[in-house]
Amino acid sequence: MSSVDKTIWDRLFLVLVGAIYIFLMFPIVLVMLLSFNSGEFLAFPLEGFSLRWFESLFSNKRFLDATLYSVRIAAISTIVNGVIGTLAAIYVARHARTGARNWLRVLMTGPLLVPEILTAIALLFFFYEIGVGTDYSIGIQIGHIVVTFPYVFLNVSSALFNFDRSQEEAARSLGAGPWMVFRRVTLPAIKPGIITGCLFCFVISFDIFNISLLLKSLGNNTLPLELFDYLRFNFDPTAAAIASLSIFLTFAAILIIDRTVGLRSLRF
Amino acid sequence: MTALTIDRVNKRYGQLHILKDISIAIREGEFISLLGPSGCGKTTTLRCIAGFERPDSGRILFGTRDVTAALPEKRDIGMVFQSYALFPHMTVAENLAFGLEARKIAPDERKRRIGEVLSMVRLEGYEQRFPRELSGGQQQRVALARALVIEPSVLLLDEPLANLDATLRDEMRFFIRDLQQRVGITSVYVTHDQSEAMVMSDRIVVMNAGEIDQLGAPREIYERPASARVADFIGRSNTLQGEIAEALGGESYRIATSSGAIGAEGPSGLSVGAKVQVMIRPENIRIADTGEARHGDNLISGSVVKSIYQGNANQLSIRLASGDEMAVDVSGRTLIEPDAAISLRFAPGDAWLLAS
Repeated sequence: MSSVDKTIWDRLFLVLVGAIYIFLMFPIVLVMLLSFNSGEFLAFPLEGFSLRWFESLFSNKRFLDATLYSVRIAAISTIVNGVIGTLAAIYVARHARTGARNWLRVLMTGPLLVPEILTAIALLFFFYEIGVGTDYSIGIQIGHIVVTFPYVFLNVSSALFNFDRSQEEAARSLGAGPWMVFRRVTLPAIKPGIITGCLFCFVISFDIFNISLLLKSLGNNTLPLELFDYLRFNFDPTAAAIASLSIFLTFAAILIIDRTVGLRSLRF
Repeated sequence: MTALTIDRVNKRYGQLHILKDISIAIREGEFISLLGPSGCGKTTTLRCIAGFERPDSGRILFGTRDVTAALPEKRDIGMVFQSYALFPHMTVAENLAFGLEARKIAPDERKRRIGEVLSMVRLEGYEQRFPRELSGGQQQRVALARALVIEPSVLLLDEPLANLDATLRDEMRFFIRDLQQRVGITSVYVTHDQSEAMVMSDRIVVMNAGEIDQLGAPREIYERPASARVADFIGRSNTLQGEIAEALGGESYRIATSSGAIGAEGPSGLSVGAKVQVMIRPENIRIADTGEARHGDNLISGSVVKSIYQGNANQLSIRLASGDEMAVDVSGRTLIEPDAAISLRFAPGDAWLLAS
């Protein structure tokens, strides 16, 4: 193929990639634009620039409560999964028998493979069967932990996979006991995986809908549920303002990943 | 004094018998190489010494202390890995401090010893660098420094030069050997590179399929190999089949071969009539009419099949009357006609018998 042909194909490819990005990003940009609309409805054309819908959002107690509730659920999911996801990854990578390893891996990533709504229904039945029910937040909390578990597990597993174990042997040869080896050598090496996994865990937990819808406890709504309730009866740009806020939080999380571990992990 | 004893160690992985009754006694301050092809058990032996593998049977002693059941961190070893295994998130100084911290050495003393060992490996001023900012050779020296700074009783090296380019590898050989002699530390070095083992070691352990083929000084291994396998593995060699015609006392024998009777040396006690192989190194064979012939030299004739000019040497292939081919190295300045009839000579002392 001549170099002329190549540049044409290269350009066509760039155009295609650009088109895909526009297709994916356009709705997001649209929602963000709408949240600054001064008009009464969630519709085009924009009537002017205003922050009134953000004001309406922050003065709405239901939304504030829902946001705090979502943050709480997401934070607990993140902390719990940060610990058990890391431990599970270490167990599967290091201590599981070779034959069992692949099965365990599939089992651990199960929540990603099974549709969320099925997990939700199964958990709902299960909680009522064992008498936990959905009177309290414990059910929805466990649901969130189950669904976001694979993110920490997978990220830590891949960090462990790329880790040169002779570093641990070197540490032992230098006189370090198992705990010192883990704290000073293994943990720093898999830290990028833990942080990335935790951030994913937080963002996903903040975002998921089906699990929350089925397992939510009395009187508590997560932010996506509150938003859904709101949109059923109102069609004003407050909803867009909430969406903008979520998008902003997600981008902030991605930025944090990139700045703290994303670039640094390239060093290894 | 014996610093390290490996006493009848066996190791199996499932059906595979990796180490078969390995026994080695290493003297204080000695540099010993475990040499052999991959899968011969040399790395497993090293890992047994380090404590990363547990022998199925047998004992390992450091001095008089039985460490067979001791954990690696309790053994007082320094180890250098093929991948260097430096801690990437720590600076050079922190890497070196690690072992001292594990030993609860006070900060002042730590600092002094780190400075001392860094000057030994010629890396003063690199304390605050991270491993990724260093070249391969520098990383290797940091790995060495990290193993030596804790002043271990044994230094273990697992193919430490395998990841370096050829020039640097040659340089590091002498660097490591020199350092080892200055520190006077007992060292066990694993390699599959015979020239590395030759230039660095006090003694070499040639291993094959989980067994020790031969244990001896480099010269002994090269000139007096115990078997055809050792002779083949260390350098190039020619072998002629024969039978002992006469024992001349001591190590001297007279051998009947298909290319005539020749004088050779071999282990004492071989009996007349025994089948043997005669091993002759290519560089010890001369063309008969060059240089000074000595009384008792073996003479053998053949014709030149091939001559490869290599600048410093001509590598000849000679077909003997018996049909055997022999490799002969002569000076590069010697002009050789292909197909020319040629007469070769070699001293009986350069022909060594291998029992077949």
